[in-house]
Amino acid sequence: MSWRRSGVIFLLLACLLGASIVICTLVGPAGVPLLSLAGDESGATILYGVRLPRVISAVLVGAGLAAAGVVMQGLFRNSMADPYLLGTSAGGALGAATAIVLLGGAFSMPLAFAGCIGAAFLVYGISRRAGRVPVEQLLLTGIAVSMFLSAVLSFLMYISGESLHQIFLWLMGGFWTASWQDAWTGLLVLPAAVPLLLLAREQDILSLGEEDALSLGVDIELLKKCLLVISSFVTAVAVSIAGSIGFIGLITPHIMRLWVGPGHRILLPSSMMAGGILLVLSDTLARTAGNEVPVGVVTAFFGAPFFVFLLRRRYAS
Amino acid sequence: MIDVSGVELGYGAQVVLSEVSFRSGKGEFLGIVGPNGSGKTTLLKAIARLLMPSHGVILLDGKEIGAFSAIGLSRLVGLVPQASSPGFDYSVRDVVMMGRYPHIGMFGGETPADRDAAKKAMDVTGIAQLAERSVREISGGELQRVIIARALAQEPEVLLLDEATAHLDLGHQVSILQMIRDLSRRVAVIGVFHDLNHAAYFCDRIILIHDHRILAMGDPAGVLTEENIARVFGVRAIVRMNPLSGRLVISPVLHPSCEAVKDSRVHVICGGGEGAGILVALRDGGYRVTAGVLSLNDSDYLAAEALGIPCLTEPPFCPISEGSRRDLEMLARDADAIVVTRGPWGAGNIENLRVLSALDAGTIVIMGIASWDGMNWDYTGGEAERILCSLREKGARVTDDVPAALAAVREITGEKK
Repeated sequence: MSWRRSGVIFLLLACLLGASIVICTLVGPAGVPLLSLAGDESGATILYGVRLPRVISAVLVGAGLAAAGVVMQGLFRNSMADPYLLGTSAGGALGAATAIVLLGGAFSMPLAFAGCIGAAFLVYGISRRAGRVPVEQLLLTGIAVSMFLSAVLSFLMYISGESLHQIFLWLMGGFWTASWQDAWTGLLVLPAAVPLLLLAREQDILSLGEEDALSLGVDIELLKKCLLVISSFVTAVAVSIAGSIGFIGLITPHIMRLWVGPGHRILLPSSMMAGGILLVLSDTLARTAGNEVPVGVVTAFFGAPFFVFLLRRRYAS
Repeated sequence: MIDVSGVELGYGAQVVLSEVSFRSGKGEFLGIVGPNGSGKTTLLKAIARLLMPSHGVILLDGKEIGAFSAIGLSRLVGLVPQASSPGFDYSVRDVVMMGRYPHIGMFGGETPADRDAAKKAMDVTGIAQLAERSVREISGGELQRVIIARALAQEPEVLLLDEATAHLDLGHQVSILQMIRDLSRRVAVIGVFHDLNHAAYFCDRIILIHDHRILAMGDPAGVLTEENIARVFGVRAIVRMNPLSGRLVISPVLHPSCEAVKDSRVHVICGGGEGAGILVALRDGGYRVTAGVLSLNDSDYLAAEALGIPCLTEPPFCPISEGSRRDLEMLARDADAIVVTRGPWGAGNIENLRVLSALDAGTIVIMGIASWDGMNWDYTGGEAERILCSLREKGARVTDDVPAALAAVREITGEKK
């Protein structure tokens, strides 16, 4: 991948992202307020107080999920890996559900965040032996922990009584309650992405295999720890804002890898932009055409068939 | 440079290798051989610090390898693993460039020196034309060369090879091993080999691993003995000097079922490598076989020896003595059938044919003479040809190849196919 070509791709993605933000802010069930913006206070409120934080949240959550997806796929050397592999999704859901059931919905965001991080650390801790964390072990432990936490969640839902509906809404995920607070929280994704970008070369080498990376001088255990902490953090931010939205973290790195190649230096930033674009477009579709269907429904509805299409095309060639 | 002393290695409670001690350094190509699962790869991994010894120490330039930083060690030790499976579509150039990581470091950028080293590594491994291809699209042998190039780009002082040429075609095997041997004059090279002949040809010194320990260590001739090979690999092998290279050649003896089961005895008169095929065929056919008279430096003698066939012999370059002639007469007279191969016949071994004139031609099979002329097999001024011609006229069977000769022997010994 030449610098020239990657420059063009970055520019293109940046333009698309800017255009998506502008268009998605202007579009909504309340109409396009551009014409009546001057002097209309409710139009400005809708634009600035409702849509813009929602759009920004969606962009940042999309970017975060895509970044975590890139990291997890590189770490597991498998383009089927996604950000929720370490039990973060189940942990976050359990945290939020706990807040809803026990605290009447207060602190659901910090508890979701804590649930994500807690699950990831639990998985990491269980997998760790003599200072080493084999990725196969992580993968299987992640599945086991996810299942366990889901069982606890199911139990919580079973006994939750009236708050079941609220839990259910949270589980479906979405941005309908997105506020400026969510948008500001989402900004945490950007500083977290900086070390990921700085570790691009190491991630490239790690995806050759752990022993290869070790013999090439990469401190793989330290690297894995960094990557897991950062990607769990980013995923936790995303989940605490919008619940666990599927497919963005899986499909975006996959598409971008086909387009820009596997090198993390280019793949990571371009996937983040693409993830932002995809999620903000999905969310806009969800709130306008879909009459506020959960955005996870939209991402899965379009994401899954598109993914199948990509896979088939890949194996055909 | 590398000093391994008293090392024990294992996975969990299972000990794979113990009491391993050796030294190696710049200017040496050290080979490690041994059967599957004997711990060759484990030993290599320990030197690359992918595995920590449970006992003993491994020193590199006098410093324990555990004391190096990951990147510090990678500047000194390069590893070519047995198999690599890149997860994504990195280009060949990208992967070779990853070999420069030890020199580039975490936040550094590629310098022209890095690009030169990568290019040089791709050139010597013959993959320059693949530079832009994805490592997942190239063949297994090409990928192996990419990984070798990556280790070369690393410019290590110790190069570890784990069956690094196992997937290469003959041409690349030879050229890469040749290149690595040249390299071993400047760096220490330690390679795991399955092919004993490659190890014997390219290595200065060989470590033979058996039963979790080093069984033998030293120059190829001292380590790869017939006795050691039989003990470690459980096969009989003939170890000889290759006349073309002066290096050892190890040939396994591939006829485990050569016990004589028949009463009939066949005597084979051969020489110059013409007899090995029929000796093997007769032995596999269950005949008791005798051979000779053969010179001790004749390759047919080596074949007979390997097959355990009793053989009349003469020292190299000596004519057949009176005693040997009498022995041959006796052996030939009592044989149920006699096979005579195509020469070459000369003053040294013409006695073999002269003896035949007195025998019943009906028991004789002449083999491998498709046409009687145009072949340089008669150096006796026509005597050999005259004897063979007269045998044919008297009823000796003439056959072209081994199966036909075997069929003729069966006919003579009164056996149905």
